[in-house]
Formats: sequence, C-alpha cells, structure tokens
Amino acid sequence: MSWVKSVGSSEDVFDEDVDDISLQNKEWKYNMEKRAKDGFRDGVDAGKEASLQAGFNMGYREGATKMTVISQLKGIMSAVRCWCQVQLAGSPALASVTDLLQRLETHEDGLVEAMRKAQQKPLPSVTEVVDDMEDLNVDQDEESGCSNNADRCGRDGTNNDCCGNARDASEDSQRSLSHGSFSTRQLLKCCLDLVIELGLPEEIKLHIQQLIDT
Amino acid sequence: MAFVSNGDDLFDPIIMADNRFHVEGYQEGFEEGTRQGTIEGRNHGRLHGAKLSAEVSFYNGFALAWKCLLQNDSDVKARKRLKAMESLIGVIQNFPYEDPQYEKLQEDMERVRAKFRQVCSLLNVSTDFREYVSGSTGMSF
Repeated sequence: MSWVKSVGSSEDVFDEDVDDISLQNKEWKYNMEKRAKDGFRDGVDAGKEASLQAGFNMGYREGATKMTVISQLKGIMSAVRCWCQVQLAGSPALASVTDLLQRLETHEDGLVEAMRKAQQKPLPSVTEVVDDMEDLNVDQDEESGCSNNADRCGRDGTNNDCCGNARDASEDSQRSLSHGSFSTRQLLKCCLDLVIELGLPEEIKLHIQQLIDT
Repeated sequence: MAFVSNGDDLFDPIIMADNRFHVEGYQEGFEEGTRQGTIEGRNHGRLHGAKLSAEVSFYNGFALAWKCLLQNDSDVKARKRLKAMESLIGVIQNFPYEDPQYEKLQEDMERVRAKFRQVCSLLNVSTDFREYVSGSTGMSF
C-alpha cells in the first residue's frame, strides 16, 4: 500500500515543498475514496444478493393476487362460451359472450403488460405510480360505468327474453369499447349481467358475485 | 519494544482509516443494494406470480363454471365430464400456487395442466385453449 508509506515518510521531512505534501494529501484522499468506492460496490453486491429472493417472493404474491379475479372470470366466461357454442349455436348471445371474453383478455393482457413495463424500468417511483394509477382507475370506472349496468341488471332480472337482451348487451359493449379500457369491477358487472340474461345456473352468478366481493 | 508499540500507535489510525472507509462505503452500498435488489426481485417476481396465477385461475374458473353447467345433466357423458371438473377443482384447491416458496410448485403445476388437458379432451374443446397449455415454457412436449 503505497499511500501508507508515503504518509509515513512525510513525518520525517519538514522542509519539503508544500506542493509535495498537498500531492500526498491528494494521494491519500484518492486512496480513501477508492477504498470507500470499493466498499460501496461490495456492499451493493451483497445487499442485492441478500434481498433479491425476498423481493421476488413479495412480488410473486402481489402478481398472483392481482390476476386471480380477472383470470378466473375469463375462465368462467370461456366455459360459458363453450356451452353457448353448443346450446345456442347461431344465437346473437354467442357474439355477446365472445365480445365480452375479448374484453376480458384485453384487460388481462393490459395488467401483465403493466408489470412487464415496470420490470423493464426498475425505478421505485415507476412501479409505485403504476399501482397507484391502477387503483385510481378502478375507482373512477366504478363511479362512471357501473351505475348504468346496475340499472340494466334490475330491468333484465325480470325479463327472460334471451335474444333481445343479448343484442342489447352487445350494443352496450360496443358502446363501452369506444370508451377505451375497463376496470375489473366493471367487467365483472358486465359478465354478471350477461350470465343472468342467458338464464344460466344460479351457481355461476354466485361465483361471479363472489369475485365481485373479493 | 517501545519503538514498535510507538510505531503501531502511529500507523493504527491510518490502517483503521483504510478499513473505516471501506466499511462506511460497504454499509452505504449494502443499503443501496438492498433497495435495488428488492425492486428488481419484486418486479421480476410479480410477473412470474401473475403468469402462474393467471393460468391456474383460468383453469379454476373454467372448471367451476362447467361444474355448474353440468350439474343438472344426468346422462353418462355429462356425469363423466362433471367428475373430471371436480377432480380438476380439487387439485387446484390443494395447490398453494400463490406461495413462491411452495417446494412442489412446478410439480403441482404439471398436474393441474394435465388435468386441464384431460377436461378439454372430454369437452372436445382443446384447440381453443392451446395457447395456455403450450404457451408456458419448461414443458417437455
């Protein structure tokens, strides 16, 4: 370690040039900075290694929770679509189910895409902002979109004219499409309405209702 | 002897300074590394958890809805399908897929996929959902 020696020797020499001492001071400073930087780098590596797994576990749970509702809803509506293909072949109801299913898929893809973007930009502020915006979005959509659907639900509950209602639903969804994206809650409501319109078993309604309540 | 100990006193602060700077840098770095590692791990994990959960939740919803649709149907084919749905639901219910530390995650996932393929073949709808079954990496066929 040259800097230890150089500092040591400066003790003996009092009549050296000031320049020389300042040079040695610089060298000392440089070496100390280097030590601190090396330490910092070692610390970053160690800190990362120590926290990656815990971070992964935390994120994994978050991601898993985020998808449960929308993906389960997509599964339910996929089953409904299979059923309609056989039972209601040629009915406009099938088109409504397919259309709604597409919206579910778009929404699901959007959620995953947001997570992928967050991964590409590993800044804390970005992920925070994405989450916050998501939450805001849900609340906003809830206010604006669903009162509408709730009305419709009440009306259709007493009416069993399947085809007419299905066409109605299809128009409704077209209208919604031009509005852009939907919240999960809004989509749940649309699915519930459609399942009621199709006169499907009560238990399916309960499953969707359960997803709404979670 | 006195000279040596004197020398020690003289150089000790210097050598300690060397250490001290390294340690201070290390501590600062460790904090920063922990922050970065948590964010990176979290973002990475979130995507993984989302993908797996999306797949399992889809199967779950699919089977639950089919169970409802088949429940009141008494012919043999429907009974067989219903049994397969219940079996798939059972496997999913006992699968803690939201737990990244569950040691049989991969194993159980394969079981769920196999059950789902079975269900689809009974329903004759396999082609519609192929993306789910083949889209996942790490499958050997």
